[in-house]
Amino acid sequence: MLAMDQGVVEEWLSEFKTLPDNAVSNYAASLKDKAALVPALYKVIRENYSDLLEPVCHQLFEFYRSGEPQLQRFTLQFLPELLWSLLSVSAARDPHTSGCIEALLLGIYNLEIVDKDGQSKVLSFTVPSLSKPSVYHEPSAIGSIALTEGALANHGLSRVVYSGPHLQRETFTAQNRFEVLTFLLLCYNAALSYMTAISLQSLCQLSSRVCICGYPRQQIRRYKGISTRLTVTSEFLVQLITGIHYALCNGEVEQGSKALDDVLYRAQLELFPEALLVGNAIKSSLHGAALKSNNKEGARSIQVEITPTSSRISRNAVTSLSIRGHRWKRHDAVDLGSPDELMDISEVDEGVWPGGVGPDMTPPTITISNSVTTLNLGAKAMKKCRLGGRSNKDKEAGALTTGRAASENAELSFKRLTLTSSQSVPKAGALTSLTRTASAVFSRSFEQVASGIVPPSSNHTASEVGRYSCSLQEDGLGYLSPVPNHTQRSPSISVHLGSDL
Amino acid sequence: MTARKSGSRLETEIERCRSESQWDKIPELVRQLSAKLISNDDLGELLLGECKLQTYLKENPIKQGASPRGPRPKLVEVRKHLTAALDRGNLKADYLQEASLLMAKLCYVEGEYRDALGHYSRVSLEDMQLGGAPVYRLSMIAEAYATKGLCLEKVPAASPALSNKNTGSPSSNRSITDREQEIITCYEKSGDIALLYLQEAEKALSAGIQNRSPKPGPTAQDLELGYFLETGLQRAHVIHFKNGNLTRGVGRFREILRAVENRTTQSLRMTIARQLAEILLRGMCEQSYWSPLEDPPTVSPLDDPTRQGHTLSKNYSLSRRPRVYSGENLFCPQENTEEALLLLLISESMANRDAVLSRIPEHNNDRIISLQSASVVYDLLTIALGRRGQYEMLSECLERAMKFAFEEFHLWYQLALSLMAAGKSARAVKVLKECIRLKPDDPTIPLLAVKLCIGPLHWLDEGECFANMVIDMGEKAAEFRAKGFLAIGLVYSLKATDASLRSTQEEYQRKALGAFQRAQSLSPTDHLAAFYLALQLAVSRQIPEALGYVRQALQLQGDDVHSLHLLALLLSAQKHYHDALNIIEMALSEYPENFNLLYTKVKLESMCRGPEEALLSCKHMLQIWKSFYNLTNPSDSGRGSSLLDRAIADRRQLNAMTLPDFSDPETVSGSSSSYSGSEPVSPTSPSTISTLSSPLSSPSSPLFILQPPPLPPTKNPTFLPPGPPHPPLPHPAPTRTRSHTFCNHITLRQLSNCGLQDANILGFSSMFSVCSVHATSIAASRVEQALSEVASSLQSSAPKHGPLHPWMTLAQIWLHAAEVYTGMSKPAEASACTQEASNLFPTSHNVLYMRGQIAELRGNIEEAKRWYEEALSINPTHVKTMQRLGLILHQLQRYSLSEKVLRDAVQVNSTAHDVWNSLGEVLQAQGNAAAATECFLTALELEASSPILPFTIIPRAL
Repeated sequence: MLAMDQGVVEEWLSEFKTLPDNAVSNYAASLKDKAALVPALYKVIRENYSDLLEPVCHQLFEFYRSGEPQLQRFTLQFLPELLWSLLSVSAARDPHTSGCIEALLLGIYNLEIVDKDGQSKVLSFTVPSLSKPSVYHEPSAIGSIALTEGALANHGLSRVVYSGPHLQRETFTAQNRFEVLTFLLLCYNAALSYMTAISLQSLCQLSSRVCICGYPRQQIRRYKGISTRLTVTSEFLVQLITGIHYALCNGEVEQGSKALDDVLYRAQLELFPEALLVGNAIKSSLHGAALKSNNKEGARSIQVEITPTSSRISRNAVTSLSIRGHRWKRHDAVDLGSPDELMDISEVDEGVWPGGVGPDMTPPTITISNSVTTLNLGAKAMKKCRLGGRSNKDKEAGALTTGRAASENAELSFKRLTLTSSQSVPKAGALTSLTRTASAVFSRSFEQVASGIVPPSSNHTASEVGRYSCSLQEDGLGYLSPVPNHTQRSPSISVHLGSDL
Repeated sequence: MTARKSGSRLETEIERCRSESQWDKIPELVRQLSAKLISNDDLGELLLGECKLQTYLKENPIKQGASPRGPRPKLVEVRKHLTAALDRGNLKADYLQEASLLMAKLCYVEGEYRDALGHYSRVSLEDMQLGGAPVYRLSMIAEAYATKGLCLEKVPAASPALSNKNTGSPSSNRSITDREQEIITCYEKSGDIALLYLQEAEKALSAGIQNRSPKPGPTAQDLELGYFLETGLQRAHVIHFKNGNLTRGVGRFREILRAVENRTTQSLRMTIARQLAEILLRGMCEQSYWSPLEDPPTVSPLDDPTRQGHTLSKNYSLSRRPRVYSGENLFCPQENTEEALLLLLISESMANRDAVLSRIPEHNNDRIISLQSASVVYDLLTIALGRRGQYEMLSECLERAMKFAFEEFHLWYQLALSLMAAGKSARAVKVLKECIRLKPDDPTIPLLAVKLCIGPLHWLDEGECFANMVIDMGEKAAEFRAKGFLAIGLVYSLKATDASLRSTQEEYQRKALGAFQRAQSLSPTDHLAAFYLALQLAVSRQIPEALGYVRQALQLQGDDVHSLHLLALLLSAQKHYHDALNIIEMALSEYPENFNLLYTKVKLESMCRGPEEALLSCKHMLQIWKSFYNLTNPSDSGRGSSLLDRAIADRRQLNAMTLPDFSDPETVSGSSSSYSGSEPVSPTSPSTISTLSSPLSSPSSPLFILQPPPLPPTKNPTFLPPGPPHPPLPHPAPTRTRSHTFCNHITLRQLSNCGLQDANILGFSSMFSVCSVHATSIAASRVEQALSEVASSLQSSAPKHGPLHPWMTLAQIWLHAAEVYTGMSKPAEASACTQEASNLFPTSHNVLYMRGQIAELRGNIEEAKRWYEEALSINPTHVKTMQRLGLILHQLQRYSLSEKVLRDAVQVNSTAHDVWNSLGEVLQAQGNAAAATECFLTALELEASSPILPFTIIPRAL
């Protein structure tokens, strides 16, 4: 370390201590002008044995504790370097050298996990829903296309916690290390726009090293530091990827894409689906976009072009929109299937939608969604079944030559359905009361329908015919909807089960 | 009169045609017009000029980025018409303006930018009325602003010929800025008016269709934005971004998006929504974000610092603006991810609508276009949702992408990964199969499938098949080859544990050992390979060899919890209990919340330090359990926040929660309840817990779960005993209500346990105070009911190892405490602890087994027998129960039955030395000395290598 750097750092150390309280914000703004300071501090952190490390860490913590955003960001910019320092030291099993870095990181963590009143902070966000009007859209314009189970379960806006509450931590242990570090990266990522290029580069470097050390790729990258493998968690990698994504789009193309590759490499080896998911998405979304590197276009490389506004899809192609009005008439009814087949589709989420669609009738149009445990073997078959149950009260008077088998079939199916809807007891509290009442209404409405089927065939005037056919659409949902019955005379229940992927 | 009337009708007709861009009808109308009134000749010229210009532009559209140059022969006529209209000066002011605007446009098309600007300055665009103007004029004005902007960009700023009012500023630098500002203002105005025009045009069109239903012409025809309007709508933000002015670019995007959409703007909106989402995700962070309804920050890190200060805010106003979305309770995003998500959901719904479904070759291009635009949106959705950990929602979104996914590997793979991340394992495996078909060379995909098969699904045969795929890739799999062997080794190892026949067990163990050795030799630096090799050796009771490899694993990964645990167990097998305990304590200093280690600790402590220490550890475990699962904030709801989600998210913790005898063959079927409980039922969502911790809630009514927790009935507040010191919360309790109810539970518990008060040695009651589940057990027993129903529906031959329920952990802790008390010969306390576990899982064979032990302790042989039989009826292969039952039968002198039971037990687990010992005793009692000796010898031999808890409590996962 050069004497000059040391001088800069020492000056910085003494300067802040003598600062009066009211001068802090001016001081924070002036930090940017000290060109030599930041590189000098990086050097201090990199050289683990420097005498200056401890006072520097202390001062960085003081900066963070001051609450002044600019000072906090000043500290945060060193976070990637500090993390690497901590991880490499802990990998080398030399616990004595990183004490002050540990203290700094834990200090920031303990400050960040509580709010101003000292209560645990919970970071949450609202999941937008197309079914609620927003500043950008009206639900009616979107149409019904997004009415999936998930959309309905979240009818309205739901607030979701994505981090917290966290426990205060006194020390780093192998168990809590990545929990703390992941949270710290989350804080860093929240301030990404304020980070300098050096900091982003340091983040990329950290990501690469954490991911490749001890693996064959280390040779390719020619990194000669520690060569022990570092344990990582998927969540940690996802946070790294978030930072890398920003770096990649804001000037650090070369380092960023290298880092992204390395993280994906590690995620593959560790079989982390979360990290692979986000990493793949970033790679694929940047595939077409020609990223400009730092040298020419300024720091930001986000560019847009004028795009043609007319639809590029020719009018005569069949699209989901054009097909929507189309009515499918399928008659290849398949029976409910043997229990073995049904067992195959053992999916966790069960959804039930009764509901009618038809302008000329007034069916129960309640839509509910439930993620329900189906406790009956066969009822598992009702996987994501969308049931359009309604009584068909039109003129099909003669249609009641009730086959016994068919009515049994109906009863069987009815049992399963009620089971499905009534077993919602041990359900997580994510449901709204709306869906609960709806489920009650549903079982009632279905009962009506079912009882409409069961009566003996003598009753021609009852003329309540329910036909249900359940077919698996390409989006994985089954639709159970009444089909006008002209050819067949008996009510029948048919469930078409498509291949479950 | 009639002439005038028809004349005005003619005018309306002309206006309509101009608004609807039906230029081909104009010449005919002009002919009619000139037949009516002579004074309209000039108007005729204007109209003819306009229609010819527009037709020309329609036939020769200007391309973005290309600048028109030079006079076009076809436009000569246009110029003639317009000149004629302008020169005579007979036109009304409105039409005169229109003629000038058209002339300027013509000039632009011919490349005469200065002339065009001249025309615009004469017209003074700013004065043109927006209110009450016919629809077509709005479009004209919008185009005029755009064209003016284009011209200003073309003409050099310093040009003296410029007819710019703002020129004359002293510094040329400032004039450049001013000029830039002027250009941007032109475009922004153009864009705003264009949006207004499109809204009005659509309104007029729909009104027109309703009014005169006959001869609608090409009604459904969409309006088309020409080059000029497109430029006007988009050029402003393009310039902002080019200048590095993200703040204003984003602001402009938002303005366009907030305008109420119509058919023509849909595609533009989709693009812009996606682009804005990209910017929000790529270029912004939480701290630099501002909401769409807020003013942007004056200084933002998003803007190019070298141009900072040039970020003038919008400085114009229009008399009429496009309608924006309004109303009460509009959702306005408050965070960048929220806004990005909203925008992406809107884009997604549009992209989904445009999904080209037909697969005929003619539509190939359309399909590719629709796929591309959709997959960009889905990728961005993945980034946004992945950042927030919302994998469940993501998997639902990606499921909707499946209509694009035919033969598209990326979409399939992403769906599979999202299903996996959302914990929908069975489905994930099925999708992964399709991914393997599409990309058979990628070793990661089958490995992911094995991971699921070994872990949550316990589909060992499928797992074997997937692992073999990786191995069959040979050298191509590179670094993944070792992983493949590791995977197959794990499959065999688990199969060996499940196998009921000794010969199959040994066969699988041999295979597993071989595979682990292979993995270890292929990847000597992988600690997992060494660790699993050690574990497998340990299971086969090759203790010294196992110690060698576990040391190797620890050298590679010093703080690996499973290696440390295995080391401790190996030491305990060598009867170095104190060393083992030291190792466990060391491991616990790194993993203080690992229940698995704690279970072993309890066992070792009661062995080395006496039961008092062990009880303290039990209490400590209860405290950890409480702080760990109490932490979840009860106020949050929705996905991703329930306890279980958290438990699933935290894989380390999950592994830590494996029950001690969980993967033991004898308990496998009973533990299946835990498997099934984890996915479909999630009774531990915070709201459930908070309500259920109140005794008031009626378990039969699910609706109660949705209500805020009512205060528990403190029947007699004065009765509150000073009680045991409430354990200090290691962390501020999330809510006061909660800790309040909690306290009340304790008191209730205390009251109901009066009989136990006298047995209050060793902090017994304080143990209850930590984690009594009296009230929660109502819920839990319901859960248990559900669980056991599922469990009974599953064959015991299909054991499942899955993520565990927090309640399971709690029950396990109580059972451990009960065991310690039984060891101390304290049946009352033991039975109280068992009761706690039984409240949670009344039909668990472990609970029944423990009850049997207590009965034995009390000397009730018959009762014990009954409990054991019940336990066996739930889990017929629970070896410990079989052993106890065998002993009791022995005591009852029913030797042959006893022998039968014990032989069965040995068949299930041939390494249980105490079973061998009991068998020896029974055989001896029957007078079969030779066989008895053999049994005793076997028992002796096995005992020498027997760990304190079975090695298989260490979880095996990829």
